Amino acid sequence: MSAEQTVEGARMPAHTKDIKPGIDWRGRALDRAPFLVACLMLALIVAIYGSLQSGVFTLDELNLDTAAAMTLMLAATGQTIVLLRGGIDLSIGGMISLGTVIAATRFTDDPSTTAFWALTILALGFLIGALNGLLISLLKLQPFLVTLATWSILNGVAMIILPTDGGSVPSWWVGFASAQLLGLTSPVWMLLALLLFWWWFRATRVGITIQASGSNEKSAFLSGVSITRVNILTYGLSGLFAAGAALFLITQTGAGSPTIGKDYILPSVAAAVIGGVSLFGGRGHLAGTLIGAFVLTLIGNLVFVLHVSSYWQPVASGIILLLSVLASSVAEKAARNRVQ
Amino acid sequence: MDLVTVNGLSKRYGGIVALSEAAFSARAGEVHALLGENGAGKSTFIQILSGAVRHDGGSILVDGQDYRPANPDAAQARGIAAVFQELSLIPDLSVEQNIWFRHEPRTLLGTVNRAEMRRRTLALLERYDFPALRPEQELRRLTLAERQIVEIAKGLAKDPRILILDEATSALPAREAEWLLKLTRQLAGEGRLVIFISHRMAEVRAIADRLTIFRNGSTVAAHEAKAVSDDEIVTQMIGRHLDRLYPERMPTMTDRIALKVGNLASGSRLSGVDFSLREGEVLGVGGLQGHGQRELFQALFGATKASGTIELWGKPAAIGNPRQALTGKDGIALVPEDRRGQGLLLTKSVRENLTLSVIKRFTENGLLSRQKEAALVKEMVDFLRIKAGTPEQLAGTLSGGNQQKVIFGKMLLTQARVLLLYDPTRGVDVGTKGEIFQLMRDLAAKGYAILFHSSDMPELVHVADRVLVMRNGRIAATLEGDHISEEEILRAAMLETRAA
Repeated sequence: MSAEQTVEGARMPAHTKDIKPGIDWRGRALDRAPFLVACLMLALIVAIYGSLQSGVFTLDELNLDTAAAMTLMLAATGQTIVLLRGGIDLSIGGMISLGTVIAATRFTDDPSTTAFWALTILALGFLIGALNGLLISLLKLQPFLVTLATWSILNGVAMIILPTDGGSVPSWWVGFASAQLLGLTSPVWMLLALLLFWWWFRATRVGITIQASGSNEKSAFLSGVSITRVNILTYGLSGLFAAGAALFLITQTGAGSPTIGKDYILPSVAAAVIGGVSLFGGRGHLAGTLIGAFVLTLIGNLVFVLHVSSYWQPVASGIILLLSVLASSVAEKAARNRVQ
Repeated sequence: MDLVTVNGLSKRYGGIVALSEAAFSARAGEVHALLGENGAGKSTFIQILSGAVRHDGGSILVDGQDYRPANPDAAQARGIAAVFQELSLIPDLSVEQNIWFRHEPRTLLGTVNRAEMRRRTLALLERYDFPALRPEQELRRLTLAERQIVEIAKGLAKDPRILILDEATSALPAREAEWLLKLTRQLAGEGRLVIFISHRMAEVRAIADRLTIFRNGSTVAAHEAKAVSDDEIVTQMIGRHLDRLYPERMPTMTDRIALKVGNLASGSRLSGVDFSLREGEVLGVGGLQGHGQRELFQALFGATKASGTIELWGKPAAIGNPRQALTGKDGIALVPEDRRGQGLLLTKSVRENLTLSVIKRFTENGLLSRQKEAALVKEMVDFLRIKAGTPEQLAGTLSGGNQQKVIFGKMLLTQARVLLLYDPTRGVDVGTKGEIFQLMRDLAAKGYAILFHSSDMPELVHVADRVLVMRNGRIAATLEGDHISEEEILRAAMLETRAA
């Protein structure tokens, strides 16, 4: 029925100048349903948490929770870019481990040495990511397989550098995470910076091209996009953010760990999916991912204040993930029915 | 001077020659039509021109200078833009983002200047009097016709000197198709070259200054449009080739109706089809690609939702999904279009492929009888003369022709006696083609009823007892006896389409 109306609509003698652009609120809400559901979940979790624990609605709590979530947020930002491209990056686990062990073995009290190695880690992250992108394009392999392989390789290298947890970083590096400006700690400022970055990135040609390549690769190619270049950049950025996550993570742990990275692989995907990023590419926003990261982090807090075994945390995370996926698939169907 | 001159252009895909010795020349300010049957090489030709595919041999001159675009970007840089039949649009971007994709106006920050983009969009749409479009609407919310219009806008946004329109009217309703023809003339009037591909003769007649005819990957002729008749064009498109590929056609049809279809409709591509297929008959389904043949077969097989009635051997049948369609002696079996994707499991053996969907036939008391299975497999391999080392050879290692025979075997083992063959000879070598035609006639003689679609017209002409010609989702003509000829099929499929 509605399809015929649309066709009839196209046949109407109306021309562009006659159209009054009405806003399709319901369509927009359906498009953003997964994101809205994520917001609702976060609100619910915060409400429960706040009713069980005093002092939840304070700046201190915001500072603490953001610091706890920031490593995941950084990793998930890279993952979001890759998902938007229609891929997946498992190697971030390896990159995070490698980043922490390099930092823990190379950072010294001398700021210039430390700065040099920090930049080296970031550059390494980008290069290894770019290599992922190149391999995916050249070998025409599944991103899942290529990044699974590089994850294993990076993990191994991290083990060779530092076989067990250890090493150290200067105290001023650790102090970075609690540095304050206007009552907000640096992680909160980083969160704002991430959103600002995203607002800018998504409006650039590069950002649009990455999204377009995930939405329909063939169409993007026919429009003149170099898919190889897109892959190099996409996975390069993911590696860069993973390296950034490693540098932040050691402000929390104060030491390197050759195995810690694996804890961020699936949560980074989960945070994005909870926030409404499509696994099939082309759709999603970082705001959703960041909310998803908060949801996953606060679940941990909630489990703690409920005084139940901490093993309930992954159970709860899994249930939330399922609910999000369900919500987005229901919304997807509703939206599709509207089009037809 | 000619704007484009093409000589000896060739392109191979593996062993298949898509283009050989194609020639073409066209001037600025003209509408130049490209004509040819499906698979004549038109698509490859424009893919090369637009930079989507690189040619193997021959030369292209644009403005007298060598032209060999490495990608669509390079083609655009030389002023060539294509409006693809297989659209190049991004579903998750808005209409205007699609139109200006990769050419967006930008701010100092490097972000897209939305206000400027909106201004340019409206100016473009107004200049060429575009039908209604909402610049901010997401593309995936649009109908096929609206998308086609966006694709046209996208091509024009590059202000090209050469615009290629590949069957751009086929997705448009009458009013918009009319608009596009007017637009095409306007563009030529602005001094651009428009290369226009359409299967609708009336459209070509209405707007083309000149036309070039392709057949089997080569250029057959180029004409001033006014100096050539429809009949000459059709004859040149088909060419003349006689060979002994086809079996003798013996009438084996009985009066018993195997399949009766009433007012079958599905989506926008299939709008009310009636016909009956008799026992012992090979009924051809022809027409130009994309006029509902695929949808007809899918609807009959139950792969898509459809309305209407279907009777099998006099009994009403509700055919909901492929599994139901498969079962039983009164059922329907299909040789699908995409052999490697839908028909065969390439990493399974010939035996497994043959028996997978009929496993019940070899089970006794819930256990699989290997002997019974082996006997049936042997029978089928012998009957179809499948050239496999052993029945355990992997299907993926067989030649195209033998793979197709395995699919035939799989279909025959279902015991269904109404067979739907969708382009069964596509990608099959000539020798096996002959065997398949013979097999079809043999099956018909045994009382099978066969519905047969081929993208290759001579096959319909030489193998089918009757031919249904489809156009715009309906049956435009039913040809019988001496009336079955390529000319008649093309005429029914192409001419008078504008009246529809």
